Amino acid sequence: MPAEEFYVRYYSGHQGRYGHEFIEFEFHADGRCRYANNSNYRNDSLIKKEMTVSPLMIKELKRIIADSEVMKEDDHKWPKKNVVGKQELEIRFGNEHVSFETAKIGSLVDVQGSEDPEGLRVFYYLVQDLKCLVFSLITLHWKIKPI
Amino acid sequence: MSDRYEIDLNVKPGDDLQDEEMADRTELASRQCLTGLHTETPQVAIKRKGRGFQSGDQRGDGVHSSAFDKLNSSDDSASGRALKSIEGWIVLITGVHEEATEEDILDKFGEYGEVKNVHLNLDRRTGYVKGYVLVEYEKFSEAEDAIAAMNGAKLLDQTLTCDFAFVKPTNNDDRGRRGLTSRSRGGHGGRRSGRSSSPTRR
Repeated sequence: MPAEEFYVRYYSGHQGRYGHEFIEFEFHADGRCRYANNSNYRNDSLIKKEMTVSPLMIKELKRIIADSEVMKEDDHKWPKKNVVGKQELEIRFGNEHVSFETAKIGSLVDVQGSEDPEGLRVFYYLVQDLKCLVFSLITLHWKIKPI
Repeated sequence: MSDRYEIDLNVKPGDDLQDEEMADRTELASRQCLTGLHTETPQVAIKRKGRGFQSGDQRGDGVHSSAFDKLNSSDDSASGRALKSIEGWIVLITGVHEEATEEDILDKFGEYGEVKNVHLNLDRRTGYVKGYVLVEYEKFSEAEDAIAAMNGAKLLDQTLTCDFAFVKPTNNDDRGRRGLTSRSRGGHGGRRSGRSSSPTRR
């Protein structure tokens, strides 16, 4: 039986004095999870890690995304990417596929000041929850500090 | 490297999604299915939304690149599908009550072996427990016992589900190797194969 179509990818990055600095991670329906982080600041190097998480982890990830109701949002009123950088959140969930792109968000102040604070707040918190999960997975699996 | 296909949709940056365009995309998705590039049934229309689909950005260094570090199982069939992490075995617990504490977790899960690490992550908006916990045991048998005993058990009136967090990779590694958006990104007519190889790891 084919698994329900599911894919998550998050990217945040910018081009700057230290080159292309970014963090990106993705989850596939079959559990494959990849994490890439590049910071050239003080000669830090590219970290690229791959791991396979269990179906229960994917199920929990789906729950977190479904509960956030992010699939109902739309990025058309969110701040556009700029010199500070951009964030991307791509989620394929069943027959829905979103690929949101927006500027980096420093804090809730940026969210409140935007044209779509409700929608952007959903994005803002979901991204933090996803990052939190991924950092835990990386930390526990590899015993490294991901950032 | 195997042949890679890019299907371009010629989306002009800044265009809003028009119905016609939407129909085109759906049709394209169907054609992809027919040529066996995609696993879903052709009838399924995918609802797409977001500026990311119009972005022509291509990056050669992110998750779509190659040469990722992996932990390999040392062919230990005793651990089944579970995969050992660097220092131990990671158990995932879901269905965790939002008011559960680290003490609650240590109390319950400490019975099966010394818990080396606990990640009880919080919901960033509410500040309450997000709903899952990751715990680490040194030995496979401890993790296995904890899962067997606690899967289906109750904590603060909520039923827990427990399993290993990490498993051995499945072998169909090439399926869905790339992200999904890259297939539908415009602005590179006729481009096929050829993300540049990733920089070597230092």
